[in-house]
Amino acid sequence: MIDLAKKIEAPATIDITAYAGATEAIRAEAAKLLTEGAVAAVIGYIPGRRNGTAIPAIVTSPEKAQELIFSPACVNNLALYLTRAKKEVKGKGRLAVVAKGCDMRALAGLMGESQLKREDVVIIGVACAGVYGSGADRDAPLAEKNIARKCRECRVHAPEGADVVAGSLPPLPEFSPVEAEELARLEAMTPAARWAFWKEHFSRCIRCMACRSLCPFCYCEQCICDRNRPQAVEATPRPAGNMAWHIVRAMHLAGRCAGCAECERACPMDIPLNLLNRKMARELKELYGHEAGLEPKEKGPLNEYREDDDQSFIK
Amino acid sequence: MQKTITEQNLRALIDLLVKKGTRVVGPRRAGSITLYEPLASGGELILGELPRRSAKEAFFPLCENILSFEKTTEGVKVADVDPSQFPETVIVGARPCDAAAPGILDAVFSWDYKDKFYLERRRKTTIIGLACTSCDDACFCTSVGLSPADPRGSDLFLTPLEGGGYACEAVTEKGEKLLAEFPQLFTDAEAAKALPQAEPAGEKLDLARIKSWLDGNFENPLWAEISERCAGCGACAFVCPACHCFDIVDEGGETKGCRRKSWDACGFGKFTNHASGHNPRDAQPKRYRNRIMHKFKYYDDKFGKTLCTGCGRCIRACPVGIDIAAVLEEISKK
Repeated sequence: MIDLAKKIEAPATIDITAYAGATEAIRAEAAKLLTEGAVAAVIGYIPGRRNGTAIPAIVTSPEKAQELIFSPACVNNLALYLTRAKKEVKGKGRLAVVAKGCDMRALAGLMGESQLKREDVVIIGVACAGVYGSGADRDAPLAEKNIARKCRECRVHAPEGADVVAGSLPPLPEFSPVEAEELARLEAMTPAARWAFWKEHFSRCIRCMACRSLCPFCYCEQCICDRNRPQAVEATPRPAGNMAWHIVRAMHLAGRCAGCAECERACPMDIPLNLLNRKMARELKELYGHEAGLEPKEKGPLNEYREDDDQSFIK
Repeated sequence: MQKTITEQNLRALIDLLVKKGTRVVGPRRAGSITLYEPLASGGELILGELPRRSAKEAFFPLCENILSFEKTTEGVKVADVDPSQFPETVIVGARPCDAAAPGILDAVFSWDYKDKFYLERRRKTTIIGLACTSCDDACFCTSVGLSPADPRGSDLFLTPLEGGGYACEAVTEKGEKLLAEFPQLFTDAEAAKALPQAEPAGEKLDLARIKSWLDGNFENPLWAEISERCAGCGACAFVCPACHCFDIVDEGGETKGCRRKSWDACGFGKFTNHASGHNPRDAQPKRYRNRIMHKFKYYDDKFGKTLCTGCGRCIRACPVGIDIAAVLEEISKK
């Protein structure tokens, strides 16, 4: 009864006027940090040329900080710019970063992997009710139809562990968990049907590597997929190499991926990569009780060996 | 009197061509997206959408074998791919921004080295272009000198008419041939009024002015400003109708394999990595600068053409929101 009442009261759309407060707070904090010289740059979002879009920006002056925004178009996980894959940005000095709850998990993961020291970054957390999905209507209010799939099941609307938190949360509608439902549908398939599902999706992969380039955890200086002496994974966009690449990606991120779903958002061919991430995350949770990105943890279960590890699966 | 064709007959044309053994490529549903792909029948043709990737792959596939090799007891046997085996192809429903691209690419593929793979496919391809009656906020063909009703590059050009159907304009001999081959599908009619063409919002850019700025600004803080955010993926290049860089790799097992040509992208960190380990474009802004320079200066210097048709695909695909139309607008104001 209580649940039902809550559902009836829940708004159908998200009141994004709350995002205006976040924008103000981000601008003020960024200007303060830059004026004080506490950071060399603030990584945040500014409006794009097209209506209803926002793009990552590396802001170095208090004046420019007044262009920073937070809106449902702020889809990027800016933790990317704190990795060694973005040396030019990291080289600027101490940085501040605007982070949604989901992005915070990537930051925690990067700290656990010694890629980032907590004291080297100022985290401007932002209370986030959700962002637009890929190809979504950017003119309509944020609602069921245009919210990103990951946001429908978000449990980290209010970021924890940030230095400051910008904005406050509006009342949140309840969304059906489409991604969890899709994952359940895949898990219920026969292995042959599931293989066919992924084969079809991966046949469309063009190896633009956007999934890799946008992933905060794909910071390897030498990706195995770029090696050619000897070649480990075929580099050309063909079925065998595509399948191999996506398996390598899923496995190397297992226990590390914090679920920001940037790989899926970046994919120009709409391959539902976050389903693989979620599947791996669930396996890691069931097998090892491990959840990535909740706290900086030096070693995930797949990076650590212990004498008492369960070895019953070795036959 | 003008030739017209109904939508039904356009689909029938595809059926007849397929039946004849012609490879017909057109916008087709592929999972949740639309791509230019070989059509099995006219019913598969999607008319109202700009495919996610361009039509260039009909001439310049994402990946193709260019030779194969096999170690035998008598030594290594090498077999060439015979381009004369490539099928006759008709591209149906190419938008003006896609139809115009091969005319730009011909220059580079037939310059010092004649790329027989590209050129043979090109020779065997007829393009049925289709005017656009709608666009989105990434479209900017009019800014780079094209238009939603530009027949350039098409062999036969279709303009949607009020009340349905299309006016057909034979632009080249290949187009004439197609009209003559299937006279039963085309009607001579007093043309109905054409549907209003799409109107991309951007203003026409002064490409000469942009080029002259590029001529003198290889070093400029603007490059870092625009592209520090670039993540270094190849999405922009891979959806572009005009990008044509490719890599050649040998792949296979111990005893046999293939030499393959596949798309490459100047945004990739290793794109210019030398065998010595030196990389002249060792930072993302240098790579993005090359993308702009190649499209609006180098290609113009060499071939007198601009390597962009304003399709807007890179703008839609860029995961970090780099907007080439905004970049050009900014440069044109400098």
